[in-house]
Amino acid sequence: MTIRWTRLHICLALIAVCAFLLLGWACRIYAQGGEPRYFAITNARIVPVSGPPIESGTVVIAKGLIQAVGSNVAIPPEAWVIDGKGLTVYPGFIDAGTDLGLAKPEGTDEAAARARGRQPAAPPPPAEISIGREDRPATTPWRVAADEIKIDDKRIESWRNAGFTTTLTSPDTGFFPGQGSVIDLAGDRSGEMVVKPAATLPISFKPRASFFLFPGSLMGSIAYVRQVFDDASWYSEAQPVYDANPSKFERPAYDRTQETIHHTRERDELVLLPANTSIQILRALRLADEWKIRAALLGGQEGYALAEAIAAKKTPVLVNLKWPERAKDSDPEQEQPLRELRFRDRAPSTPAALAKAGVKFGFYSGGLEEPKEIFKSMRKAIDAGLAPDAALRAFTLDAADILGVSGRLGSIQPGKIANLVIADGDLWNEKTKVRHVFVDGRWFEVHEPPPEEKPEEKKPERTAGSGSGIGGGGL
Amino acid sequence: MTLAPRSGARNTIWAVVALSVFSGLRVPPLRAQTTPGVYAITNAKIYTLAGPPIEKGIVIIRDGKIAAVGTNVEIPEGARIVQAAGMELYPGLFDPVTQIGLTEIGAVSATNDTNELGKFNPEIVAATAVNPASAHIGVTRASGITHVVSVPGIASFDSQSGGIIPGQASAFHLLGWTMDEMQIRRSIALTLNWPSIQTRTFDFSIFDFKEKPYADAKKEYEQSVNELGDLLDRARHYAQAKEKGSPASYERDLKLEALVPVVEGKLPVLVVAAKARDIRNAVEFCTKQGLKMILADGAEAWKVEELLKEKAIPVILGPSEQLPDEDDDPYDKPMTLPAELNAAGIPIAFSSFGTSFSRRLSQYAGTAVAFGLPHDEALKAITVNAAKMLGLGDQFGTIEAGKVANLLLTDGDPLEIRTQVRLLFINGQQTSTDNRHLDLYGEYRKRPAAPQQ
Amino acid sequence: MKRSIFSLMLLATMCAGPASAQNSSATIIQNATVLTITHGTIEHGSILIQNGKIAAVGADLKVPEGATVIDASGQFVMPGIIDCHSHIAVDGSVNEGAPAVSSMVNIGDVLNPEDVNIYRDLAGGVTAANILHGSANPIGGQTIVIKLRWGKPANELPFEGAPPGIKFALGENPKHSNFGPPPGVAPRYPATRMGVEEVIRQAFTEAREYKKHWDDYNQRKAAGEQPLMPPRRDEKLEPLVEVLEGKRYVHAHCYRADEILMLLGVAKEFGFKVRTFQHVLEGYKIAGEIAASGAGASTFSDWWAYKMEAYDAIPYNAALMAERGVIVSVNSDSAEEARHLNQEAAKSIKFGGLSPNDALKLITLNPAIQLGIENRAGSIDVGKDADLVIYNHDPLSVYAVVQKTLIDGQVYFDRQRDLARRSELEKEKQALLEKEKKAAEAEKKPEEKPAKKPEPKKKPPKTMGEGDGSRDAAGAQ
Repeated sequence: MTIRWTRLHICLALIAVCAFLLLGWACRIYAQGGEPRYFAITNARIVPVSGPPIESGTVVIAKGLIQAVGSNVAIPPEAWVIDGKGLTVYPGFIDAGTDLGLAKPEGTDEAAARARGRQPAAPPPPAEISIGREDRPATTPWRVAADEIKIDDKRIESWRNAGFTTTLTSPDTGFFPGQGSVIDLAGDRSGEMVVKPAATLPISFKPRASFFLFPGSLMGSIAYVRQVFDDASWYSEAQPVYDANPSKFERPAYDRTQETIHHTRERDELVLLPANTSIQILRALRLADEWKIRAALLGGQEGYALAEAIAAKKTPVLVNLKWPERAKDSDPEQEQPLRELRFRDRAPSTPAALAKAGVKFGFYSGGLEEPKEIFKSMRKAIDAGLAPDAALRAFTLDAADILGVSGRLGSIQPGKIANLVIADGDLWNEKTKVRHVFVDGRWFEVHEPPPEEKPEEKKPERTAGSGSGIGGGGL
Repeated sequence: MTLAPRSGARNTIWAVVALSVFSGLRVPPLRAQTTPGVYAITNAKIYTLAGPPIEKGIVIIRDGKIAAVGTNVEIPEGARIVQAAGMELYPGLFDPVTQIGLTEIGAVSATNDTNELGKFNPEIVAATAVNPASAHIGVTRASGITHVVSVPGIASFDSQSGGIIPGQASAFHLLGWTMDEMQIRRSIALTLNWPSIQTRTFDFSIFDFKEKPYADAKKEYEQSVNELGDLLDRARHYAQAKEKGSPASYERDLKLEALVPVVEGKLPVLVVAAKARDIRNAVEFCTKQGLKMILADGAEAWKVEELLKEKAIPVILGPSEQLPDEDDDPYDKPMTLPAELNAAGIPIAFSSFGTSFSRRLSQYAGTAVAFGLPHDEALKAITVNAAKMLGLGDQFGTIEAGKVANLLLTDGDPLEIRTQVRLLFINGQQTSTDNRHLDLYGEYRKRPAAPQQ
Repeated sequence: MKRSIFSLMLLATMCAGPASAQNSSATIIQNATVLTITHGTIEHGSILIQNGKIAAVGADLKVPEGATVIDASGQFVMPGIIDCHSHIAVDGSVNEGAPAVSSMVNIGDVLNPEDVNIYRDLAGGVTAANILHGSANPIGGQTIVIKLRWGKPANELPFEGAPPGIKFALGENPKHSNFGPPPGVAPRYPATRMGVEEVIRQAFTEAREYKKHWDDYNQRKAAGEQPLMPPRRDEKLEPLVEVLEGKRYVHAHCYRADEILMLLGVAKEFGFKVRTFQHVLEGYKIAGEIAASGAGASTFSDWWAYKMEAYDAIPYNAALMAERGVIVSVNSDSAEEARHLNQEAAKSIKFGGLSPNDALKLITLNPAIQLGIENRAGSIDVGKDADLVIYNHDPLSVYAVVQKTLIDGQVYFDRQRDLARRSELEKEKQALLEKEKKAAEAEKKPEEKPAKKPEPKKKPPKTMGEGDGSRDAAGAQ
C-alpha cells in the first residue's frame, strides 16, 4: 500500500521537522549534557570589585562568560532567570595555593617525614649522594599540575560550595615540585578545569629528611637551587651555540631540569619563594634579586614587621591563612617564647599592614582543611584591621592579577569568565550562606545540608562533581 | 704591665716559686711518693672555713689526718716542714658529681664505663669501674680538687644520660694506686635520673630530632614512675623479709638488696632533675617514698624554691656556666641561681657533672660570686657543703683537727683563674701537681725551636 | 607664602639643631681603666666616639657639646671580644654533611639575626664572630664574619670588608668516624685521614682545571673568537678558585699534628695559604712549623679528651704556640663558652705564663689579625671601630661582669637596662598568654570546657631576658 503524500501529510512532516529542529536548537542552548548556558541574576546587589557596588542590578551570563553587568541591563529571552532579591553577587573566590585535585605523593623521603605526628615512618631509603650538577634530588619542575588533576577530589566540591571558583593547584614535594596551574572548580574532564596550565614555579628550601642526604641543610638547599639557576642560565647560552655548531662542540648532556627552568624564565613565569617569617621574607627578597627572577612571597605571615621592605621591592605576597597557633598536642607546661607569642598574636594583622603599605597580595588556604576555616581566618584578619573591601579584593582581582589571569578572572565585568558567588548577605558575616555558585558559567545551587543527612547533591540535572547536564551525559 | 695592684706581688711570688720548682726543688712525683708521714705547713694564711682565716697559721698533718690547726701550734719532731709564707691554705676542693675514672675519651666507647644497659641498675657501683690510672685524675687534681664522687649514667659533655637508676655513686680521693687506697666511701648515694616527659628527642639513627605528642610522652613517663615505685615497694618487702624472716624464706636478690638502705632512708638518692616540673614531681615522689633526696642539676630550681625549702632538699648544682634553658630566661640565670638559692636558705654545692671540665670547678664558683654569691659561701660550696649533704661532713670540707688531711695550697684566691696550685695534700700525703698535661708541655717545650723544612 | 616657607625652614633647622649634635653620634666613655692592647693601659682614661669610630683616647679628654656621657668610673674598658670560631646566628643546620665537598654552601645565606645566643654572647663581651660551617666535610661551606648587631636584620650583620672564608676540616669529624649513617644509606668517602687529604687535593685539582677553562674562555672571548661554548659556572669550585687566588681565607679545623702538616703540604702543592688552623689542639707539637707557614692558630683554652684526637690537648697550647711566634687566638665554638672568653684568655696566664696583655690579645687583636679586620677592630686605637666592652672588674678576673657592650659606638648590651626590662617583658608575655587562653576558651563549645584547671604557677619567674630566637640544630665540633 502506498502512502499518498497529501498536503496534510507534508504539513505535518514539515511541522515535525521544524519541531525537531526547534527542539534540537533548544537543546543546543544547554551545555553539553543539556545545561542552561544563559543566565540572568536579577535584583541582586552586585560587587564587581573592579568598580563600585551596584545596589540592585543584573548580571547576564552567556556561554561561560559574563555578558553584561548593570542596574539596567537587557535580559536575553533565553536566559534562565535567578531572582537575586536579598542576595549579593561577588566574583568567585580564588584560593591561591592548594593541592586540590592532586593525589598525595608517595614514596619520597619528604612524604614519609610529613606523616602525622611529624615522625619519619622509617629510615630514609638508600639514596645517591649528590656529587655534581647532574644529580637532581627531589627536582621535577616539568611536572604541571594540570596534567595530574583528578576530578573526583571531594574537596573540589566543598571548596566550590563555599564560594571558591578558582584555585592555584600545585605539586608540593621537593625543591622544584613542578608548576602550579590555575583551575576552575568544575568540569566533566580535568582539561576543562584548567585556566592556565603553567602559572607558577614554586620552590622549596626545606632540606631532605636526613643529615646524610644532599641537601640536608637549609643552606645546602639554597646552594642547590642556586646551582640549578646557574645551570639554566648556562643552558640558555650554551644550547643555541651547540645547536648552531654541532660539529664543533661536544654535545651537552641532556638535563630536563635546566631546560625546563630555562623555559620558565623565558616565559617570565612567577616563582613562588617560601617566605613566612621575617628572616625568610628578607632572604627571599634578596635571592629573587640575586637570581633575577620575578617572584612572589609564599606565606608572608610575618609581613606585618616589614611591609615597607616588601613594598619597596614591589613583590606580591600570597598570605597563608593558616595563622600560627600553639600546637594542639603540645606539652601544656612547655615554655612559650615571647617571640612566638608575638608572632601568633600579630600574624593576622599582616594583611592590613600589607594593604597599608601598598603591597599586592592574595590568600591561600595553606593546609586549612575546610573552607569554613578559611573564612574564620579571614575574619581574624579583618578584626585585626584589614578593610573588608581589601579582603575581598585579595580574594579575587588581586589574586588573579598575581597569578596572571586578571584579564579573564577576578571581577564581574563583561568579557570575563562567569565565576560568581551569590550569597545571602555580606560575605564576611559568619551567618551568611552561599546560595549559588557559577563556575565557567555553569550553575551550582548550594543547599544547606540537613543536620542528620549528608550534604544534598544538586538537582539531578545539574549534579555537582561531574557537572553533567540533563540526561546525565554529554550529547 | 700590671692591670691590678696585687698582680705585681703575685708575679713575684710566681716567679720565685717557678724558679724553685724548675731548679729541682720539686715535690716528689706521684710514683715516687713517700709514705704518709708528719707534715707541718707553716706561715700560710689558713682559710679553715670553720671560722675566720688564720694569718700565718700552722697545720700539722699526721697519719692522714689534720692533727692540729692554729697560730701557736707545736711542730713535732721530724715533721717535714712546708714553708708557705705568702700562700693560702684551703680545704681540698670537692667535685661531688663527676665521672672521673669512668670515662677516658667520650667518643671512644671502649673507654666508657658510665652507662650500663637497662633502666634499673641499683646494685652496680661506680667504684668498680673507676680506673685509678686515668689521666683525668692527675689533671683534675692539679687544679686543687682532692676528692670526687663519680656518678654513673648522668648526662654530661662526654656522655648521655643512662637508665633511670644507673647505679651507685662512689666517693674517692684523687690519689692512690688502687681503688682500695683511694676509696672514701664505696656507695655514697644512689643515682636517680628522674624520668622526664620528653616530647622531643634526638634520634642518632636519623641524626635529627623526633617529635612525639604530649599525651604519648606523658603515658611513657607515668609508666616509668610506676615501675620505679613498684621496684621500691619490692625492695621494702625484701627488706622486711630479710629482717623478719629466715634466710631460707627468700631468695637473695642483689638489686633489691642494694635498694634496702635507700628505702630505709639511710642511703641518700642523688636525683638528677632540671626542669621545674621534674623537680616538683621528684620531690613529691621522694617524699611519698620516704627517700633522702639530694637534687642534682636543679637548673630550674628557682621556679620551685618554696618547695625545696619546705622539704629541706639540698641542691648540687651543675656548672654555673651554661646556657639558660629557655629563650626568654634571663641571660644570666644560671650564673645568678646559686646566689638566689643561697639567699633563700637552700643549701647548695657546685659540681662539674663531667670529667674533662672538672678542673673548672673553682671557675664555676668564681662566676657565681661575680653574679652575687658571697665569696665565702662559694668556697663552702666547693668544699664542705657537698660533704655535709653526702654524710662526709665530719671528715671533709674544713681545716679542723680530726678531719682528713685533704688540703690545697695556693698563691692566691682559689676562685681566681690565674691562681696557681702550689701544693696538694691528699689523704695526708703531699701530692705533686704533675699530670699528663704538664708532662706533654714539658716534653714539647724541649723540641728544638727551628722548624724542619 | 615665602614667609611661611622660611619659618618652616627655620623651624626645621631648629629641630635639627640639638638633634644634629646627637646625630653626630658623639659618645664619651669616661674615667675607666682603658686597656688599649696596642699601647698600654690608661688609668682614668676616656674614649671619645664619633660616627661609630674611636676619635680619641686619653687621660684627659674634653667632653664635646651634646655628647652622650658614659661614666665608667671604677670600670675597665677593652676592645670588643672577637670570637674566631662560632656557630651562632645560623638558621638550620651548620653542617651540609652529605657530600664530601660542600663549598657551594654559604653560611651567609642563612644568617639568623634573631638567635638569642647573639644577645647572650653580646652580654659576654663579644662584638664580632667568625661564623663557620661545621666540620662534617673535609671541605665545608663558605663562612662569614659578623658583628653581633642584635636587633638588626640579617643583611646588617656581616662585618663590612672582612674577607670571606671557607671551612676545611681534618681528622675524625670529616671522616664521620664517631657517627654513621642509618641503615640503608651508604657511608661516605673519606673514611680515613688518607682519604681526607685526597678529597682536598682532588677538589683543588678540579678547581685548577676549572679556572684554566674559564681563563681560556675569557681570553678567547676577549679576542673575539667565535663560536665559543661557555663553560658552566660551578658554585662548588668558585670558592676554591678564590682560595687559589688568595681572595678567600681558609679556616681549617684540625687536631693532630700530622694532619696539620699534611694540610700545609697540600697548600704548598697548590699554592694557597691556610689562614687559620682551628682547634689545632696539637699545635704545640709543631708550633715552629705553624709559625713558619704564617698561619694563625685559633684554639680552646682547656678542652680535651672528648675525642681520641683531643687526648693530647693541653691548656698550655696557646701559650706555647705564642711563644714560638704563632698568632694565637682563643675561641669558643660554643654559644656558652663565648660568654666568658675573657676568663678563657686568662687561663693562658696560669697555663704557660703569658702576660696579661698577651692574654687579652688572644681574644682581641690576634683574632682581628687572623680575620683580616685588624684595621677596624681588636684594639682601642684612634680610627678603629668603636667596638668596646665595659667590665666592672679587670676582665682577666673571674669576677668581671660585662656592664655594656658597644658596637660601632652604639650600646647593644646594657646590663642595667636588661635588668630593668625584665618585668616589662614578663608582663607582655603574661598578657599575651592570657589573651591566647581566653581566645581558646571562647572557641570551645560550653560543654567542652576543660575539666582540669590549668597548672598553677608555683612562682612567677622573677626576671626575663630578651627572647628572640630560633633553635639551631646541633653542629659537629
